[in-house]
Amino acid sequence: MSINGQSGTGPHEFASPTTSGAARPVRRAVIVGGNRIPFARSGGAYTKSSNQDMLTAALDGLIARFGLQDERIGEVAAGAVLKHSRDFNLTREAVLGSALSAETPAYDLQQACATGLETVLGLANKIKLGQIDSAIAGGVDSASDAPIAVSEGLREILLDLNRVKTLPQRLQVLSRLRPRDLAPDAPSTGEPRTGLSMGEHQALTTAQWNISREAQDELAFNSHRNLSAAYDAGFFDDLLTPYRGLAKDSNLRADTTLEKLATLKPVFGKSLGAEATMTAGNSTPLTDGASTVLLASEDWADAHDLPKLATVVDGEAAAVDFVHGKDGLLMAPAFAVPRLLARNGLTLDDFDFFEIHEAFAGTVLSTLAAWEDDEFGRTRLGLEGAFGSIDRTKLNVNGSSLAAGHPFAATGGRIVASLAKMLQAKGTVEGRPARGLVSICAAGGQGVVAILEAL
Amino acid sequence: MSTVQPVILGEMPSLSKLYVNAAAQTARRRVLGTHNGSNLPATSHEVRGVRADVGNLTAYQHLIGLTARDTLPAGYLHALAFPLAMSVMNRDDFPLPLLGMVHLSNHVEQRSPVLFTESLDIQARVENLRGHRSGTQLDVVAEIRGADTPDIKWTGRSSYLAKGVFLPGIDKPTPHNGQADFTPPDPTAIWHLGVDTGRAYAAVSGDFNPIHLSVLSAKALGMRRSIAHGMYLASRALADVGPAKGETFTWDVTFEAPVFLPARVALAITVLDITTAQTPGEGWQRAEFVAWNPRSGRRHFSGSVAPL
Repeated sequence: MSINGQSGTGPHEFASPTTSGAARPVRRAVIVGGNRIPFARSGGAYTKSSNQDMLTAALDGLIARFGLQDERIGEVAAGAVLKHSRDFNLTREAVLGSALSAETPAYDLQQACATGLETVLGLANKIKLGQIDSAIAGGVDSASDAPIAVSEGLREILLDLNRVKTLPQRLQVLSRLRPRDLAPDAPSTGEPRTGLSMGEHQALTTAQWNISREAQDELAFNSHRNLSAAYDAGFFDDLLTPYRGLAKDSNLRADTTLEKLATLKPVFGKSLGAEATMTAGNSTPLTDGASTVLLASEDWADAHDLPKLATVVDGEAAAVDFVHGKDGLLMAPAFAVPRLLARNGLTLDDFDFFEIHEAFAGTVLSTLAAWEDDEFGRTRLGLEGAFGSIDRTKLNVNGSSLAAGHPFAATGGRIVASLAKMLQAKGTVEGRPARGLVSICAAGGQGVVAILEAL
Repeated sequence: MSTVQPVILGEMPSLSKLYVNAAAQTARRRVLGTHNGSNLPATSHEVRGVRADVGNLTAYQHLIGLTARDTLPAGYLHALAFPLAMSVMNRDDFPLPLLGMVHLSNHVEQRSPVLFTESLDIQARVENLRGHRSGTQLDVVAEIRGADTPDIKWTGRSSYLAKGVFLPGIDKPTPHNGQADFTPPDPTAIWHLGVDTGRAYAAVSGDFNPIHLSVLSAKALGMRRSIAHGMYLASRALADVGPAKGETFTWDVTFEAPVFLPARVALAITVLDITTAQTPGEGWQRAEFVAWNPRSGRRHFSGSVAPL
């Protein structure tokens, strides 16, 4: 029996026996493993599955893989970008519907496409500070089962109707109803302050950085080739649980070729002065899916006889002023990574894996171009020159969002679990632990990046 | 020029009555073939103790894309003073036909922030009657003070053109200085304006000028379709500039091709900011904006915002 009367889960339930919180040393937060369901193109296998369905499915697989039945986890954090208002406690509801102990607390988090990675960082910090010993980070999104709101006109009428008391007043409120008020208000990927879709924003950035169609198609081709090879090698065998008849990401085109990609018509940036280069092939499709990551203190993992794949070293968030065109909407990671690396005394040469989320091929290539640009380095990053370049053979080696798809909040968990596994397999490099960089751009001009290291 | 005689009105004039009056006046002048000379009335109209209606303010803020703060937006103050400006131009001794006047440009100085709870004295006058290559133009100047205080908190100068109206003695058209070629920059925003944009702004601003309301009412005044209010467009651009401009600023806009509704309008905001890595957030100098039709490349309006 533990102090607070809830059923105990082992000798390491409490972080530290010290009496003063301030004296508690910062400890490591490790990634034990992860589980996701295959990602499905919207309107596909998961069309009728809700966010809660999919998050629970991913959670179920994680619980089964690591034997977490009846386990009271320190905290579960997850989120969805497209969220129904009834899902205000989405993560807690998923926990209640899972085999975890019902005494496991949970909270929802939302930071657009960075949601998944931010849950990892927030929970890892709690573990590092000794506030919790175990945690599950996650994310889910359904573009198929997206919330549809009533129009602003109908919403105001319904709310006003609720406020008036008498029948004549109600009739008067109802008389304001017009046919156009009945048209629903569907969510869009448009930025509220600019009215531009994410693709249109990226098309501007892609043109500004002179990213060619060929370079974008090549990145997309590599994503499909790498993801396909990873499936063939069994890489996802312990990272994924089949769901609704799907055992692989349905967006994956193992047989795609550069020639096929070159035939696709541009979909974004057609009204710009520059040539339009962004196609459905080098942009991510709307996707449904969910992912989870199990985090723990080293003691908790050891006590439960669970693997320790990698540690969460550090993370950084950044944001840019895209509203006034100062930087591209998805360019925040170009600022977050240099700050993060400087704080940790690292350069791009110190990494063995780069996981740069492929919102669009143009996003990855614009970020790399900015880092290689002398003027950007000097004027925007405050460096002596260009920030640096990466070894492209270390980039998204097991595929990324262009091939797997991108259920917004689920992408962070997909990347973190995969990278942790890759780092553990790599072990040490030149006497130091293998090291990986995660970079995720997000709506609102935001970006979250993180460093993971093999143990 | 004689000194301006103030006329204090008991209450804010009703814009709808003014428009009806203006239509009747236009018809009368057309039938009788009369005009009212070549001088502007040397009279200012003033209303004292004006207060903003908070519900109307909130509706305005949300329509423009502003957060509903307690300070009155510069564009809202323009709307608040607008009935007075109209009433001066609706006087019998005003020499130009009010209906069909084109808003050419607008210069606003927000000299101190105004809270929605404040009681305000608002005054408007017309001045600077002069030729234009395609008619006659003038300025309407509005000033807003705190009730019974001398300091001007807000002032706006709007230039209007009476197209095709040439008054005796004012026949010196300003030389056409050739419109510079406009190459659209990369947009920072695209506005999707529905057909009801004019009606929605009319509802919050009170400006029910028929050219903004519907295709039919616009056609009655010789427009092929209804057009967006210039001040709606300029206010949205000001909103997009954001709070970096501070509480006191100047706001200039020049209108060119009208925005026929419905429309897609491309906007580019350029911020001159000398912020460096060493002085974050300290270098905001000014913002410039330009809007155009993304299909034709025609410029709709352009302007700037700078701290006062």
